[in-house]
Amino acid sequence: MTRVLTLLLAALLALPIAAEAQKPIKVGMPMPLSGPPALFGEPATKGAQMYIDEINAKGGVLGRKIELLTRDSKADANEAVRVARELILKENVDFLVGTLTSAEGPAVSVVAKENKIVFIAPIPKTDQLTAADKLHPYVFRVAANTTMEGRSAAEIVAKWPVTRIGTIAFDYAYGQDVTRAFVEHIKKVKPSVQIVDQQWPKLGEQDYNPFINAQMAKKPEAVVSSIWGGFFVTFSKQAKALGYFDALKYNFIGLGEAGSPETTKSMGADYPTGIWGNSYDAFYWEDNPGAHKDYTARISKYLKDQYPSSWAIQGYIGMQFLVEAIKKANSTDSDKVAKALLGLTIDTPIGKQTLREKDHQANRGQLYGKTAKDAKYPFSIMKPVTYVDPTKFMD
Amino acid sequence: MKTLSRVPWALLVFAAAFFVPAAGSRYYTFLANDVVIWALFATSLNLLVGYTGLVSFGHAAYFGIGAYTTGILMKKVGVPFLLAFPAAGVVAGLFALVFGFFCVRLTRIYFAMLTLAFAQIVWAICFKWNEVTGGEQGMPEIPYPDFGWLERVAAWLPIVGGYRTSDYFYFLTLVLVAVCLWLLRRVVGSPFGRMLTAIRENPERAEFIGVNVRRYELAAFVVAGAFAGLAGGLFGIFNRGVFPDFAYWTKSSEVLIMTLLGGMGTFIGPALGALALIWLNQQIVSYTQYWPLILGTILIVLLFVFPGGIAGAVESAARRLRRRRQVA
Amino acid sequence: MPDLSFVFAQSLSGLTAAMFLFLIASGLSLIFGVLRVLNFAHGSFYMLGAYSAYQIVQWLGTGPVSFWVAAFGAAAGVALLGGIVERFLFQRLYGKEELYHLLFTYALVLVLGDVAKVLWGTQQKSLSRPPGLTGALSLFGATIPHYNLFIILLGPAIALGFWFALQRTRAGRFIRAAALDRETLGALGVNVNALYTGVFVLASFLGGLGGALITPMRAIVPGMDTEVIVEAFVVVVIGGLGSFWGTFLGALIYGQVLSFGILFFPRFSIFSIFALMAAVLIIRPWGLLGKPLK
Repeated sequence: MTRVLTLLLAALLALPIAAEAQKPIKVGMPMPLSGPPALFGEPATKGAQMYIDEINAKGGVLGRKIELLTRDSKADANEAVRVARELILKENVDFLVGTLTSAEGPAVSVVAKENKIVFIAPIPKTDQLTAADKLHPYVFRVAANTTMEGRSAAEIVAKWPVTRIGTIAFDYAYGQDVTRAFVEHIKKVKPSVQIVDQQWPKLGEQDYNPFINAQMAKKPEAVVSSIWGGFFVTFSKQAKALGYFDALKYNFIGLGEAGSPETTKSMGADYPTGIWGNSYDAFYWEDNPGAHKDYTARISKYLKDQYPSSWAIQGYIGMQFLVEAIKKANSTDSDKVAKALLGLTIDTPIGKQTLREKDHQANRGQLYGKTAKDAKYPFSIMKPVTYVDPTKFMD
Repeated sequence: MKTLSRVPWALLVFAAAFFVPAAGSRYYTFLANDVVIWALFATSLNLLVGYTGLVSFGHAAYFGIGAYTTGILMKKVGVPFLLAFPAAGVVAGLFALVFGFFCVRLTRIYFAMLTLAFAQIVWAICFKWNEVTGGEQGMPEIPYPDFGWLERVAAWLPIVGGYRTSDYFYFLTLVLVAVCLWLLRRVVGSPFGRMLTAIRENPERAEFIGVNVRRYELAAFVVAGAFAGLAGGLFGIFNRGVFPDFAYWTKSSEVLIMTLLGGMGTFIGPALGALALIWLNQQIVSYTQYWPLILGTILIVLLFVFPGGIAGAVESAARRLRRRRQVA
Repeated sequence: MPDLSFVFAQSLSGLTAAMFLFLIASGLSLIFGVLRVLNFAHGSFYMLGAYSAYQIVQWLGTGPVSFWVAAFGAAAGVALLGGIVERFLFQRLYGKEELYHLLFTYALVLVLGDVAKVLWGTQQKSLSRPPGLTGALSLFGATIPHYNLFIILLGPAIALGFWFALQRTRAGRFIRAAALDRETLGALGVNVNALYTGVFVLASFLGGLGGALITPMRAIVPGMDTEVIVEAFVVVVIGGLGSFWGTFLGALIYGQVLSFGILFFPRFSIFSIFALMAAVLIIRPWGLLGKPLK
């Protein structure tokens, strides 16, 4: 009788624990799902969701399933704060993974800090997010930052047989920071370089003709651009029509992921094939660690697209870090997970990634390559495409 | 029926609002805080739109200026909230004076377009002036006002103690916004306010009886701008950061929609509109990314069916009830 | 002293931008002149024209005429949409305050923007220049793409065609009369409502056509509706709300200011559009060729 009672008591005591264990781990994901940045935000949420679906299929993490709650931050810092608060205080999410723009990231970082919730940023590149005066235990970034991007470009351009270089970038934090990082580094690596022209169209410019003409008049031998997304499409269509790329002999590097499959795919024959570009991911990357092929097959199936987006991987890697940290900490308590994230190295589809202890920044390099036509695809690709390891650029 | 109107509704709502942190979750405190600040912002706009008949597309400029003033003073210069908050109103009011001077010389659509142009110029300055405003990245982490003195008060009045900083800020916002709304109510009810209404109904007649219409309109513009600035000062702290999009035309359109949604014809309308829009936004954004579609549809329905907004609909329903009672 | 070919290239850039803007702004100006409404949704029609043209090209493939068929088809589709919106929704608001018209058009912007998002998603789209206009010619050392030349010539062609229609045809006379005095026109037995619908349809056609024709030169992305509407407003304000040639002149001036502005004020292009609008509204609010609004 006592044994039955003891067992019953144990069962009753275990019930709340069991109930607790069944509650899903909630992750909030504020991302722009409307407006121009939705181009990146939407695939990132899908990449995150795919990873979560896979983990849940294997039984979840610590015996619990993960639930992703996405919210449209509208690329507005105020809206991002609102949805972050709603996610934390109303939906009681355990963690936040998200934001895209350079204003959203730092804004949500403050909310995360005050609520002591781990916040992983998969896309914002602004140095501000992990700068010494803004860093706190709960913020982490798995995107590249402007310093890494600018310097990687400098290393590549230094190898070109050119000395007169021009830059073109949007006149706001991202464009200014990447350009500055490039200029500072190339002067170190190749002192003979002269910056002969700098163009600063406003963010969201639709008519680049005046800037293109002005730049061509200075006759640079190479140009470094950080014009991104749909704006790059607009810019390069106009530039190509004016003979800009021909004049540069295609010594042009398009940072801001101008080499991404989305961009080359959407432009088709209009793409200025022969320029250099970078991208977070490329489904055609052959010379890659084995995990990439598998990932590409899965994301292609998930997105129902034989040429899947290159932005999904950022959401995917963001979630990977989170889940691995939860496993390592054996807990969903943000303080423990934050500690577990420091210095954490994981295997991602692009290789090993480590979140540095000193600034919570991952060594997220990007794929760089010169674009060329390829018979296998109806659009240009970067060929050969190399992953540029940024570890030496990060300080 | 008469006894109902004698009840000091405003006072009751104000008192009840203090219980939100105790009764509701933290989330509802933030929601209430959001609504209260926007209620002030929308009511300040209504001084222009509803009472003076001047439709401004750029009211967010003053909201943004107020936010940056308080933010810069508190974060970069270390000025205490006691000074930084009124400074928001003063600086915003000054800008309203300068911009308003040019705007009130125009009417109708030209007025509206110039307010928009000035607001976008303010936005552009905030976006570009990296050294002062932080540029596109804004100024995250504006410090909360110092609530240390409340802890000392809590020693002999324990009910005051034991709340979080964000709750204290909510109480502070409640008090400040209540005072501002009370002031605005006085303005609206004063001879000055009644003259504004006369100007809205027929500017030529007002001119005819010797009223300097432009001066009245400018005064209204400045008062509206100043109170929008105060709302902005509070919002920068609430939002944990000040960003250039505080002055962007989308914020101006948001507050204009609130004013319409709640009803431009009454004093309390815009505040109701703020409550409705913020609550709706939160509800819908949790389910779908197509908030603009829903908002647009609501607006269209509103324009055709309830042009008086929520307050207007409530008023006409109340009127109909009263008539039925009288007949019965 | 900047060299001649550069100056020439910049002024041609300005001209191309101007003619595009004119194409779009003319519809806006028409609606304002006749209906006295500032139609925020005009940018949405522009965007829908672009997306529709893209869609039609997807269906037809890239044959020699598919682009032109797509452009015309898109413009016609948008015109139809404009007509429906005007006839069944907008007309109900005519007696009411101006604010309601503005808010209605703004609500349309919200709705149509999301409709485009539902139909075409958030990824950017792009169309190539039509075969036959893919080359460029070299003049005074500057490269001028043929397509740009086409737009530069199309602008004045449409302006002249319009002007002719407004001055010489019966419908044109009615439109001008409606702009001056709607009530009298109605009293004279003209079906003013039908006229208004017609004007809206025509303006939407122009907006949609502008959107379709700009696709070889710009990406088709969400947000293109609000981008263009502000520029179009500025152009109309500079020239004078309601003045047709004013819009043309405004577009020309704006195009050149943009082109050369970046040389004198290189990092202030973010201000140029609003500073210009503010300057015109302060100094001469009815624009260069407009008449003071009563």
